[in-house]
Amino acid sequence: MIKKKEIVVALAGNPNSGKTSLFNELVGTNQKVGNWAGVTIEKYEGTVIHKGYSIRFIDLPGTYSLTAYSPEEVITRNFIIEKKPDVVVNVVDGTSLERNLYLTVQLMELKTNLILALNMFDEVEKAGIKIDIKQLQNLLGSHIVPTSAVKKTGLKSLLDHIVRVYEHDIIIAKNKVVFSEQIEGKIDALEKLLEQEPQLSGKYPVRWLAIKLLENDTQVYNLIKDYPIWIKALKILHGSSSEQDSPEEPDLETAITDDRNSFIRGALRETMVISARKKKSVTERIDSVLINRVLGIPIFLLIMWCVFSFTFKLGEAPMGWIEFFFKWLANSVSAVLPQGFLRSIIVDGIIAGVGGVLVFLPNIILLFIALSFLEGTGYMARAAFVIDKVMHKVGLHGKSFLPMITGFGCSIPALMATRTLKNRGDRLVTMMIIPFMSCGAKLPVYVLLISAFFPPAMAGNVLFAIYIFGVLIAIISARLLKSTILKGCSEPFVMELPVYRLPTIKSILIQSLLKAQMYIKKAGTTILLASLIIWLASNYPQSAKISVETGTSEQQVNNSITLSSGQKAVAIQKLENNKASRQLEYSASGKAGKLIEPLIKPLGFDWRIGVALISGLAAKEVVVSTLGTIYSLGEADEKSVNLATRLRHDPGFSKAAALSLMVFVLLYIPCIATIMVFKKESGAWKWVGIYSVYALSVAWISSFIVYRIALLLGLGN
Amino acid sequence: METALTNLKKGDKAEIVRVSAVGEIRRRLLDMGVCRGTHIKILRVAPLGDPIEIFLKGFNLSLRKEEAANIYVIRIGELGDGKPMGLPGRRQSDGQEGCGA
Repeated sequence: MIKKKEIVVALAGNPNSGKTSLFNELVGTNQKVGNWAGVTIEKYEGTVIHKGYSIRFIDLPGTYSLTAYSPEEVITRNFIIEKKPDVVVNVVDGTSLERNLYLTVQLMELKTNLILALNMFDEVEKAGIKIDIKQLQNLLGSHIVPTSAVKKTGLKSLLDHIVRVYEHDIIIAKNKVVFSEQIEGKIDALEKLLEQEPQLSGKYPVRWLAIKLLENDTQVYNLIKDYPIWIKALKILHGSSSEQDSPEEPDLETAITDDRNSFIRGALRETMVISARKKKSVTERIDSVLINRVLGIPIFLLIMWCVFSFTFKLGEAPMGWIEFFFKWLANSVSAVLPQGFLRSIIVDGIIAGVGGVLVFLPNIILLFIALSFLEGTGYMARAAFVIDKVMHKVGLHGKSFLPMITGFGCSIPALMATRTLKNRGDRLVTMMIIPFMSCGAKLPVYVLLISAFFPPAMAGNVLFAIYIFGVLIAIISARLLKSTILKGCSEPFVMELPVYRLPTIKSILIQSLLKAQMYIKKAGTTILLASLIIWLASNYPQSAKISVETGTSEQQVNNSITLSSGQKAVAIQKLENNKASRQLEYSASGKAGKLIEPLIKPLGFDWRIGVALISGLAAKEVVVSTLGTIYSLGEADEKSVNLATRLRHDPGFSKAAALSLMVFVLLYIPCIATIMVFKKESGAWKWVGIYSVYALSVAWISSFIVYRIALLLGLGN
Repeated sequence: METALTNLKKGDKAEIVRVSAVGEIRRRLLDMGVCRGTHIKILRVAPLGDPIEIFLKGFNLSLRKEEAANIYVIRIGELGDGKPMGLPGRRQSDGQEGCGA
């Protein structure tokens, strides 16, 4: 087969212009998701075969403009300038054309083969908007193709246009927006200067460079700074700033924006007629209920509760199946393999590790179904609108709220959900406080300790207090981080509230499955490796001496003639438990527990709790089972009441230590799976390091304070 | 009279005459179409009193009061003739889609 010729097409457009739905309709399930190099912003790509060509679409991040202020905008323009796609398709929302064309005129400045997809064309007609497409085409110098992703119209025509532009059957005129005389004069002067540098003029459209210099674009500044023409360019630029001293005249940046807007306004006045607006749009009617002053908050809370239950209640059953399957697999393998290192590493290491990765999948898929639905309908922006005042007090964006409450279920999908936050600073702060929202896996630890040390009447209050304590720490941390290491990284809350739409099931499913795939591919391997290391540390090295001793004792029990067979079984079980406990003490984890004992002594913990905390890095529930092993109970999960009794009577344990331990488990480093997702989402080990140090410090200080206060209150026994 | 956007009430219509925000917020406002000559309408205030929602150029935009305080407007119809008292030459003609009916 002959390899098909490839046409590279970039899709650019405003957020909510229907760009992603159009992309989904064009390439279907034939797409892959990744990240743009160096940033955790999603990169979607997909290929479609048309007229003998293989057309590769790259869905650029949605932007309103092409300044250098946000990473999305930089990605978009760098891609167009550096990768030189054969065709750029600008997806514009026909129902708010005036705003959408602002990006279009900036794309025109980049001198590319630009085609406009006039999207949501069905709604344009319904809204009574008439557009003289031919005339607008003349004014913009680009071809315009009416499309509708929902009605699936215009898709073929768009593909035809792309092929025709590629074959030079259609020549894109590449018109330019003419600015006012004063600005054009400066652009001319700068252009002449820039043309003297072949390295610059060969790579970049010089007119674009000139405009960006006048707009104070930091990236373009840095680009030109190293060339000798810089001094002359500076003269032209400085000349401009002294001329606009009078406060009446806007600065150049604003003047350029004004001129672009005038051009758009003029073009639309010539080509667009809007018959009288309808009394009230559907969106207006929905919003008058959903975000109304009285009902807004209750409805918001109800929807958040629904998302939470949908994700975690509905996720319970499939999680159970996955756990059941891996238990079955482990048993089957155990039955086949002889006892020893190989069986141990396959069953307890690999099978348990893979199960530990896959068990989060139902939650991740369900949460992303809910998230894509909320984003797709347009309610997500409203949710941020409703709750922003509260979040703003903490220094965060309204959109941080949903990931935070998701954290009460599981930190992993919650961290992934921070992708809805566009600002990096906001996102990092939200990520760092999510693990303080007590996740579901920490609950068994609280239940064990509370049932051991507190009367049933108080149990509920203590549990509630723990959760509230986590939220308080999260709030304080957000304020602290925002005023120190992540100072000033805030997203301006200037946000579109898009028109309500019903998202297609197809796009929701594609989104969620791509997220799941990303989690397995990127996080899965590292999580597995890390769980293996923790498993090794808790099991090795093994002491032959302990095995031999236990073996001898068991022999003695078996040979005894005074014991009945029932008594023998009990005695042997006891010996086995004792052996497990001693082996754990001898293992790397046990040694590490002893090593850190001086560090955790002030919190009321001895080395045994140290071991439990270390193994708790694999998963928080493991704290319970490790305590079970180390307090010689063997399988503790099912009989935690027994373990509770045991802990209560242990001289090393007290109410104060129990409280301290609960606080420490609440706040210290979350499980390895969360850490790996944290690394992936933050993009750098540096942030994992900062977060780990911070979380450990907060956990230590809080536990210390809680322990000391509890001791003062006489809870020391 | 030129006044800050925050002084308007729900349902008020106005024309933007000046955006005095600086830096990233200024850029963002300009990029979203909040620039002089634009007609806006106040749609609502969030249940907790902040942010606010306005309508312009065919779409709805929400912004915090601290950002809105840096946007100066002139009410439409303030002079009694149903016309804004915008800056000469930069005025958007009435009947455009800018600020709804």
